[in-house]
Amino acid sequence: MSKYLNLELKEINKLLKERKIKPLDLVEEAFDNIEKNKDLNAFITLNKDQAIKMAKDLENKEVDNLFFAIPIAIKDNICTKDLRTTCASKMLENFIPVYDATVIEKIKQHNMIIIGKTNMDEFAMGSTSRTSYFGPPKNPWDENKIAGGSSGGSASCISARLVPLALGTDTGGSIRQPASYCGLVGMKPTYGRISRYGLIAFGSSLDQIGPMTRNVYENAALLNILCGKDEKDLTSTRREKEDFTSLIGEDIKGMNIAIPKYFVTDIVEKEILEKFNNTVNLLKENGCNVEYIDIDYIENAVTLYQIIAMGEASSNLARFDGIRYGYSYENPKNLEELYSKTRQIGFGDEVKRRIMVGSLILSGENAKTYYDKALRIRDDIRKSFLKAFEKYDLIIGPTTTTVAYNLTDNLDDPSKTFLDDILVIPVNMAGLPGLNIPIGFNKDKLPIGLHIIGNEFDEKTIYKLASYIEKTLNLNLNPKGGE
Amino acid sequence: MNQYKTTIGIEVHAELKTKSKMFSDSANNYGKMANTCTNVIDLGYPGTLPTINEKAIELALRAALVLHCKINKVMHFDRKNYFYPDNPKNYQITQNRTPIGIDGYVEITINNVPKKIRIHDIHIEEDTCKSIHSNNKSLLDFNRAGVPLVEIVTEADMNSAEEAMAYLEKLRELLLYADVSDCKIEEGSMRCDCNVSVSKTETYGTKIEVKNIGSISNVGVAIDYEKARQISLLEKGQVLKEETRRFDDKTNSTILMRVKETGNDYRYFPEPDIPFIELTDEYIEEVAKNIPMTAEKRREIYLNNGISEVNVKKIIQNRTISDYLNKFINQNLNLVIASNLLLGDITAYINKYEIPLEKTALTDEKFIDIVTCLDTGKINSKIFKEILEDVMEQDLPVEKILENHGVREMSEEELSEIINKVLENNEQSVSDYKKGNERAIKYLMGQIMKETKGNANPNTIVEKLESKLKE
Repeated sequence: MSKYLNLELKEINKLLKERKIKPLDLVEEAFDNIEKNKDLNAFITLNKDQAIKMAKDLENKEVDNLFFAIPIAIKDNICTKDLRTTCASKMLENFIPVYDATVIEKIKQHNMIIIGKTNMDEFAMGSTSRTSYFGPPKNPWDENKIAGGSSGGSASCISARLVPLALGTDTGGSIRQPASYCGLVGMKPTYGRISRYGLIAFGSSLDQIGPMTRNVYENAALLNILCGKDEKDLTSTRREKEDFTSLIGEDIKGMNIAIPKYFVTDIVEKEILEKFNNTVNLLKENGCNVEYIDIDYIENAVTLYQIIAMGEASSNLARFDGIRYGYSYENPKNLEELYSKTRQIGFGDEVKRRIMVGSLILSGENAKTYYDKALRIRDDIRKSFLKAFEKYDLIIGPTTTTVAYNLTDNLDDPSKTFLDDILVIPVNMAGLPGLNIPIGFNKDKLPIGLHIIGNEFDEKTIYKLASYIEKTLNLNLNPKGGE
Repeated sequence: MNQYKTTIGIEVHAELKTKSKMFSDSANNYGKMANTCTNVIDLGYPGTLPTINEKAIELALRAALVLHCKINKVMHFDRKNYFYPDNPKNYQITQNRTPIGIDGYVEITINNVPKKIRIHDIHIEEDTCKSIHSNNKSLLDFNRAGVPLVEIVTEADMNSAEEAMAYLEKLRELLLYADVSDCKIEEGSMRCDCNVSVSKTETYGTKIEVKNIGSISNVGVAIDYEKARQISLLEKGQVLKEETRRFDDKTNSTILMRVKETGNDYRYFPEPDIPFIELTDEYIEEVAKNIPMTAEKRREIYLNNGISEVNVKKIIQNRTISDYLNKFINQNLNLVIASNLLLGDITAYINKYEIPLEKTALTDEKFIDIVTCLDTGKINSKIFKEILEDVMEQDLPVEKILENHGVREMSEEELSEIINKVLENNEQSVSDYKKGNERAIKYLMGQIMKETKGNANPNTIVEKLESKLKE
């Protein structure tokens, strides 16, 4: 089997244009990769027949853009017409959407080939992808380790080089944290940058779709395609067209970079701090001005996240009632039983836990005590970040406090896993863009990531720094070492 | 012993007259086959998001303005969370914290005494779908799901069935004339829930909600029934519990639906899928400017133009006629004649042939011509009746239609000839008149009219006749 998919997209594109390879070669290679790496459990549903058909259809078409005929994997909470979309839940085990999410329309317009739907935490609720009804995906660097979550399947399949592109979603770190654990580039864009239409909602005011890729350039190029105002999503934002790759390769000299002190306290593992500090030194040596700052309430971000995300989730998931779609308890005695049994059997434990906590948070006076207050403090965090960006171009820190841990760890206490996202959640609170870029490995050869946070709608500058680090460190990010 | 005092507050849901739904682009249509006016958004499919129907915002703002409300210039939507099969997302998008209008009023008049019924708030929300229960099964029609509504909530300011009915009549008239809603209670585009309580003291009694009342007059029946029922229970020493009852129009009574549970918890929170909406002063002004003339204003104009109170009332009850009449308000046209025609022969024609006014051949020019002919005496109402069908059906000018009926204005010579002839043949009457018998001229007039077959203007005849008699 040929190994075209390990090439950069630009090279694949050239081969396609020169007719040296066919779209079908790429698709067959992708399915071959997936078959050989079944144990990773990265996919919930494969789109094999349709993907092969599309590859054949593309054979005689003009190669019109960089992403033409490139296999892409889609997180399974994004609706794909006629292709099962489960949210990794029994509730939607047999749910086949009748419409495409806006991002899927864009992907199809650019002739990318959807290979399948990736594994994840059930309804994106979790940080390890272990709450999936279909079992957890695994980390290609060590299959005993978690891939992270909730976009664990997307991270796993990019890391293992099964496909070159994937979509993830990030409500409280779900793109960046698994990207860090699996050693790849993952971007959560500014809230409003990409349409959420067709993304099955978890925390509506936080959810954002983003690209997960092997390298920085391809990430920025994919964002170029995914972004844009959508009339179907009132929270999407109209912006002037820009090219997110435009600053890639530029010199970083003179950049002002801030590190929130909270990001480098002893909550972070030593080995990660070491790698992070090495990177900071590298930036300083290359002419960046790096300073330490405080961001207000940043240490409360996880608590705020739990209140806001769970409150919204309890309402967003109310629609799964067994009446119109999804799992439905058969022969209920009455309406009450239809509701309770459908939701009792259809949802997993973590989802039910969050719905219950969320319902409590919004109940009666609690809405004022918790939810309203959380919204206000969240606004303060955002203001504090925006104030920092008056002075600094970027804010950086480690992406995670630990490296990927064992699939069997931390199963006893559901609140523990929220700490996996303690460094990435503040960015969701502020609605800002954030990206993970690998900066090395620990002694067990598990990836360590750098978190780069930008001002709102300034993804371009993030890519500028990320590409510089990528180029300078020149890490081998293929778990199997390449050839 | 103190008398019981009845206290009534009313919640009205009115469907807004829009082409599409509140949060999706599917059609807002009544009477279509079940589940043909719906889409994935109305059905609450996973991943779908609401959009905003700007026309609905405009109509709700109109309603808030005609109810004299203060406008919440920065408003948002909220989610009201509750499980029910007719509620597709199991939350309803509504306005809880920032209703579009607050603190308004509707003025009613009973026995010439005006009273202000205060409006607590008016807010925008989406309708639920329609449940149809049959054969132990429940069917859902999503055509209604997501239809834009305004809910108008009064303070507990009404004290009798009469006041409640007067309020609803007035509210209906306001919404109808502002083109906000078609307010058809029988089709459910206007629905009223009444909260009724009785008490002997200044403290309000226990609130009982009555739903499902199918007409304004039945609101009166329901309130009187509730009042009597509650008083009789209290007199028996019973303690009332807050409950929801429905009106049964077969027995003219109310039937218990459910006892209200304490602390009904809807877990309201701001709808995160819809950003805050800002209503600028310019926008509010623009919307206010485009509100069609209120019934109140119309009444005033009609009365000032000499139309009788009875006819004014009839015109206001028929929006089509009122709108038609309004086209001629500043055209120096005799509105009394115009309104008589519209309410009389023209309405009769329309009813007889069941054809809407705008589908007839009656143009504004023709209408003006006819009213003018009648006003100047060129034709009389008898002739009008004769030519009515042709006016309504033929694309011909009035002059031509009159000609076809042999009705045309006589030349001076023709008229003089006729007058001379009549005078010659009625010497007795002429001499009676000259002796001072004023009545004789009436007889002569009649003879002349008969000869002219109505083709001459009576005023001209009188003029000519008098001058001839004085010769």
